[in-house]
Amino acid sequence: MPPKGLISPSCIYACTRFRVRRTTLLPRDEYLRIMRMSIPEVVAHLGQREYGQELMDLAHDFAGAQLIEEAVNRNLAQSFQHAIAIAPGDLQTLTGEYLNRWDIANIMAILRGTVHDIPRQQIRDLLIPAGEVDSALLDRLLGFTTCNEVVEALQGWRLYPVLAEYYRTCGEQGIFARIENELYRQYYAGLLNPGTFGCSGCQELIAYLRFEIDITNMRNLIRLHCAEEACDLTVIDQTMIPGGRIPIAFFQRLYGIETEGEFVNAFLQTDIVPVLAQAMRELRQDPGFSSVDAAELVWQRWHQHRRPIHEVEIAVTRIRLHHLESLSRRHPFSVLPVLAYLERKKYEVFNLRAIARGKAFDLPPERIWQYIVL
Amino acid sequence: MPVDDIKPTRSGLLLARRRMALAERIHRLLAMKLDGMMLELIRLTEQAARERRELDEKYAGAQEMMAVAAMMEGATGVLLAALSVETSPTYTTEYKNVFGVRLPDLEPVMVKKTLAQRGYGILGTSSVIDDAADAYEDLLMAIITSAELEGGIKRLLDDIERTRRRVNALEFKVIPDLTETLRFIVNQRDEMERQERTRLRRIKKIKAKRAGSP
Repeated sequence: MPPKGLISPSCIYACTRFRVRRTTLLPRDEYLRIMRMSIPEVVAHLGQREYGQELMDLAHDFAGAQLIEEAVNRNLAQSFQHAIAIAPGDLQTLTGEYLNRWDIANIMAILRGTVHDIPRQQIRDLLIPAGEVDSALLDRLLGFTTCNEVVEALQGWRLYPVLAEYYRTCGEQGIFARIENELYRQYYAGLLNPGTFGCSGCQELIAYLRFEIDITNMRNLIRLHCAEEACDLTVIDQTMIPGGRIPIAFFQRLYGIETEGEFVNAFLQTDIVPVLAQAMRELRQDPGFSSVDAAELVWQRWHQHRRPIHEVEIAVTRIRLHHLESLSRRHPFSVLPVLAYLERKKYEVFNLRAIARGKAFDLPPERIWQYIVL
Repeated sequence: MPVDDIKPTRSGLLLARRRMALAERIHRLLAMKLDGMMLELIRLTEQAARERRELDEKYAGAQEMMAVAAMMEGATGVLLAALSVETSPTYTTEYKNVFGVRLPDLEPVMVKKTLAQRGYGILGTSSVIDDAADAYEDLLMAIITSAELEGGIKRLLDDIERTRRRVNALEFKVIPDLTETLRFIVNQRDEMERQERTRLRRIKKIKAKRAGSP
């Protein structure tokens, strides 16, 4: 291990590889070209790029938008598995930790599929083995007939203690939602683990993650507020992710506010407002959209018990991604270029999926374009 | 007792009159029921047309939400959320009585669900899944309401058809037949009375003739 302050050659090598891989992702004009194509043309076009092998493998079982989605998902899984393999030392640990969210989704799908007795192939098609739990283990989990066997087989998994703590009876009403929430809470807790503070770029990464937690908490608070039934503070406590810049007590207080002035004043104190205002300025092409306007917009949705506007969520994601990329340029030999690549790759796959699905539903191109993260 | 079996006697006349009164009363009641059912049918048809338009709008909305959900979360994400459903939506069937017709009264069960009842974790999904779930729950509610109304209209139409046949049978067959029978009995009884009178006069004449001869 190199002395503190020095960057190891393997880290420089890996970061350079990730930066090079970042350049192979689809550029903006490529998306504009794809937007003008029909679904078969998109398939043919992607077949000439790095998705060719996956498209060839899956063409027998799927067609149209489904084929594109399955192929890009498989490509994403392979790219992320490869990223874990080439990242050295601490970077590998952090990358694995970061990609754990895919494992959570896969394992929850297997548990739910097992309970509802869904055909195994159907569940297999839903899995994206992009995390640490590889395809072989997922296939083994799919072979079990009861949840107990699945849970027992996961003893080596990073988040197994959460499963063991919350899992009681297979199929108990609402238990899977509880487990899923706890797994994600533990996932973020693991990412914000003080043990990782020492690595290069980790402080910036943690700041980025804390903001992501704030955004997620705020979005989920609005979702809870939109529900017809009022929820108590315990539910808010169980649903909010600890570790963000904004304390959970603030969200609990915000939930009870029903006057505009109080809400806007409270919301203006958060770090979310400037980013939201910037997102709105870009979305509406309105340079005069201020933080107060953004807070009032949120209040209107809040007051009308309506959920966040999806296009605004996407615009906020774009800004966060640009922020991550600028951080990765400032810290070229740290964990940030790795995560910037992982996030960019993820959104490339999401973009292609959005285009394919949007075209399959005959949505106008300008509508589809609003869901593209560039 | 069939109309043809009624004898042209006083009791037959009384029986025919009783039947006539009954037939007229039934006809009047069935005609009123028919009018009532027609009014109810018009009301239900208008309501069903409104609900059907709403259903079409909700279907289009749900399709759009599904498109957005598939774009943002992928079909995989939507299917994973669907896999979380722990209680399938259903309905219970009861009946309400309208003019003696049993119209279906469908009660949705676990169609509109709370976030907790949907079974998916909030942290593993996004608001687009909530929107899609809301849209499809509203669509299911609209389907159940439309099914209830359209099922009611179908039953009402069947009963209207049956009642109209009864009213027509009473109006054009039973009542005219009874009227004819009554006329026949009255005529027969008049004829019999005339015969009787003629017979009595004839006897009287014969008796008078016998009394006058030596």
